[in-house]
Parts: sequence; C-alpha cells; structure tokens
Amino acid sequence: MRSITAIIIRNLKNFYRDKLRFFSNILMGVLFLFIFSFVMKSAAIGMANPINYLISGIIIMSVFQTALNNCMNIIEDIASGFMREILVAPISRWQISIGQILSASAIALLQGIIMVIIGLFMGLQIDALHFIEMIGVMILVGIAFSSIGLYLATVAKNSTTFQVLVFIFVMPLTFLSGAYIPTTAMPHFLLPLVYINPLTYTTSLFRYISLKMEGLSAAQLIEAGVAFDIQGVVIMPSFGLAMIAVVGVLFLALCVSRFNKADFSAVRVFEHHH
Amino acid sequence: MGHIIEVSNFTKKYGDFAAVNDISFTVEEGTIFGFLGPNGAGKSTTINTLCTILDKTEGRLTINGYDVAREKAKVRDEIGIVFQESTLDGKLTVEENIKLHCDFYLVPKNEVRDRINFVLELVDLQKWQRAPVESLSGGMKRRVEIARGLAHSPRVLFLDEPTAGLDPQTRATIWNYIKKLQEQSGLTVFLTTHNMEEAEICQKVAIIDHGRLVAFDAPFNLKQEYTSSAMRIRTTRRAALRDYLGRHDISSHNEDGMFIVDSIPLDAMLEIIASFRESITDLEINKGTLNEVFLAVTGREVRD
Repeated sequence: MRSITAIIIRNLKNFYRDKLRFFSNILMGVLFLFIFSFVMKSAAIGMANPINYLISGIIIMSVFQTALNNCMNIIEDIASGFMREILVAPISRWQISIGQILSASAIALLQGIIMVIIGLFMGLQIDALHFIEMIGVMILVGIAFSSIGLYLATVAKNSTTFQVLVFIFVMPLTFLSGAYIPTTAMPHFLLPLVYINPLTYTTSLFRYISLKMEGLSAAQLIEAGVAFDIQGVVIMPSFGLAMIAVVGVLFLALCVSRFNKADFSAVRVFEHHH
Repeated sequence: MGHIIEVSNFTKKYGDFAAVNDISFTVEEGTIFGFLGPNGAGKSTTINTLCTILDKTEGRLTINGYDVAREKAKVRDEIGIVFQESTLDGKLTVEENIKLHCDFYLVPKNEVRDRINFVLELVDLQKWQRAPVESLSGGMKRRVEIARGLAHSPRVLFLDEPTAGLDPQTRATIWNYIKKLQEQSGLTVFLTTHNMEEAEICQKVAIIDHGRLVAFDAPFNLKQEYTSSAMRIRTTRRAALRDYLGRHDISSHNEDGMFIVDSIPLDAMLEIIASFRESITDLEINKGTLNEVFLAVTGREVRD
C-alpha cells in the first residue's frame, strides 16, 4: 500500500511540476469547451439546452483523453531510466501498475473537475448531488481508460508508437460517441458503429446525470440521444454504468497481467552487448 | 568473515549462445570486489542475474544466503544498485528521490528522515537536498544515486561502472566515498569497471572473458602471477652490476648511469639488492599493473 501511495504521489508531483503540460492540458480543455460548444451548437438544435448538452459530452471526453494520455508517463519513465529504480525495488509488478492507473485516474479526475468549473461559468447548472454523481462517473471512466492507456503503453514501448495508437484509438471512438456531434444528428449508416462504441454509453450516462434527466421517459431519453433504440431494444443510460464497469475491470485485469509479464528489456538495465 | 555472495556453476544462455559459461566465485562480506572484463564478456549478464533482473539458465547464485532466483524480494532488500545510467527522477529533489526509495523499500517511516540525513552526509550533499536532481552536475547525480542505493541499509552495494563519464577529479571523489563507505560501515561493494587503475582498490577481482572466468584473486596476487616487475637501480659499483646482470642473463639497458631492468622476477630482484646493498645510491621498483594482468589473461586491452 505504501509503495502504491508513493508512486501516486510521485506521479502527481511530476504532473504538477511539469507546468507546460499542466497548463496545456487545461488550455486544451478550455479550447475544446469554447470551440466545440459554439461551433457544434447548431448540430444540437432541437435539444432543450444545446450548450449544456455539448459541455457535458466534452467534459467526459477530456477525462477519457487525459486518462489515456497520462499513461505515457510510464514510457517516459522507461526512457529516462527511472523505471529501473522501480523494477529492482521489492515491489510487486501489480503494485506498480495499480499505482500508475490510480495516478492517471486522479489527474483525469482533476482535469474533469476543472472542466466542470469552467462549464459552470458557461451555463452548466448542477447541484451537489449531481456533482458527486459526476465525480463517481469520472473516477470510473478514469480508471477504465487509464487501464486501457497503460495496456497500450506496455504494448507500444515508445512514445511515438503510443501516440499513434492513442490517436487511432481515440479519434473514431470520441467522434462516434456523440460527445461532440450528437448521435441524433449523425447519418444513419454510422449508427451501428455508434452502438458498438463503449464511449457512447459513457457519454450518455454522464449527460443523463449532468443534465438532470432522471424525470424523463424512455422516449424522451431516446430523443435526447442518451438512450438508444436499437431495433426495438431500448438501451437506457444505466447500461453505461455496467459498460464502464465491465470495460474497466476487463482492462484492469488485462493490463495488470500484461504488466506482470511485460519484458522491460527495452528498459536497458545495464549495458548489453551481444 | 563469511561469503555474502556465492556464485556456483552459473550459466546464462540466449538461445544457443552462452553469455556466461559455468562461472563460480565468492565475495567475502565487507570487501570491495571488482568484476572486470571487456564489453560483451558477460559482466552485465552476471550482475543483472545477481540483482534479480535476469533469470539464470543454470547454477546457483545467493546473496546473504538468499537464492536470487527464488527469493527475489529478500535479495532486493539486501542489495543497493547504482546503474551506469541515471535512474533518478529529475523533477524530484534529491531528498524526494531518496524518500521515494525508502517508501519502495519499506524503511520504517520514523527512520526515513535519519536515513536521508545519514546517506546525504556520506556523500556530502546535505546542502543540496532540496535541489531538483535535474539541476545537478553529473558527478553530483552519481553521488545522489550512491546515497539513494544505501538508503535502505543494504548489505551489498552494486556499482556498475560508477565513474563512467565523469571527469578525473570527480572520479577520485567518487572512489573516496566508496572506500570510506566500505571502511566505515562494513558494506560489501560489488563493482564493475573498465578502469584497471581504479580496480586497484578492490580486495579481490574476478576477470571474465567470453563468458568464462579467467582470473579470480587479489590484485596483488594476480600481479605477482601474471606480471613481472621493472627495476631501476643506481650503484657506485657499475661494472660489477653489469657483470652480475650478464652472468644471470638479465637483460637491461643503461640510462645516465642508471640500470633499467624492464622485467625481473622477485627473487632475482631481492638477490641483486642483497648483493649490492652498500653500493646502491638509488632504487625504484615498479610492480606490474592490473592492466598487464588483464592483457595477460585475456590477450587484449580492456578497451578494444
């Protein structure tokens, strides 16, 4: 436990001290909020509150992206040599991966909270209970996608490959999730892709909470793009919760077991000349 | 004192290639042990296996009685490692790096502060404890690494090329710290080095070449066995000495009235000194160097 906490604190310190990254992260969030919510406003026409609708989608997307991107830390640690210090310490591999996942999630949550605060100035209206629920979802999303990020990082082993992987992974998933472009405004041939995208349900769950849609009927939810009628089967926002939980647990397990076996010989431990 | 490190019949293969081939040696507790060899000889493979990073193919390796293959966590508690390349976190301060290390090695929380002070004092870096590591010079970073490697009170400190890439003055400082450490704390130091002059501080050295152990003894004994001494002697009885050297088939040349013998066994040297004792006005004896030992046992220079 102490080693995990130590890894988390160290990663948070590094994040905080890397001022450039810290501010560029926040700046990116603000830009996304402004640009997308104003540019895409027309796409959300017909929604009761288009700006709020987009803001909540953008908030959860930035949590998701921050979680993924922060796993690049581990590649930097491998490159800088610091990873060797951790690998030769009497710490289990699973502790290292949990520490990495939790710190990336914490940073993602922080990013999400900053976005919520900015969102408040832009007209987002939430109360304490919803805020707590949103935090809960952000934590889940953070853990699930940090696990995916760490998994990708152990596969990629260098930052260029990692960024390419994340890009390939992130672009279609975010744009087909309804976060930026409401699913109700998408062409019909894209809908099957939207439906198989786990992020779709993450976004809809987050919207359902942040836009206080508890009182709405299934038909209204479908119209608002937070519930889906897939050939007569209605998928409610609560499915999103199950979805993140499943994806999260699956990748957490996958990532920890991969990390356990990962060959860090790319982490050049002492010089090898063969 | 007992053997803190025991390596017997250790072999490590990569496919069919044996990086290390059936080597055995021991390291006595509280000594400085030098592991020498050209690049690619199997040094790194051996040290990595001892540090539990690599798995052996065959043989038995123990540190303080713990098997490096089966009791990795215990072995890791017993050892401190200073890698050739930095493994510090540049963004953290000196103190934070060591504190983090203490957390990883579960140093009791109430002892952490004392340990940090103690190890920083060893390497004279108390004043720098709040400096970010990335702001330090190469030599200071190496000292931080040594301090950090000792923070959990290991019994053995592994140093891989501890002075590589440092300027001569910094090298000397680092060696002073290493010597001081070993003398004061009874720590066992296991080091690899390219620099044969630096290896002179070791109580015992092992030389490895092509995966095989080619020499294992105290530097002094190795020099005795593999090299001969050079002698420069000045005497008032020059003709007699010339005769003597000629009679004993000892080749020499003369420079400014000084006889220079490039290679001479110990007993022959002692005999000359005994015979010419009263007439000797100046005498200089140069023992062979570890470099020559290295050349003799491996057939090549250490850097090639």
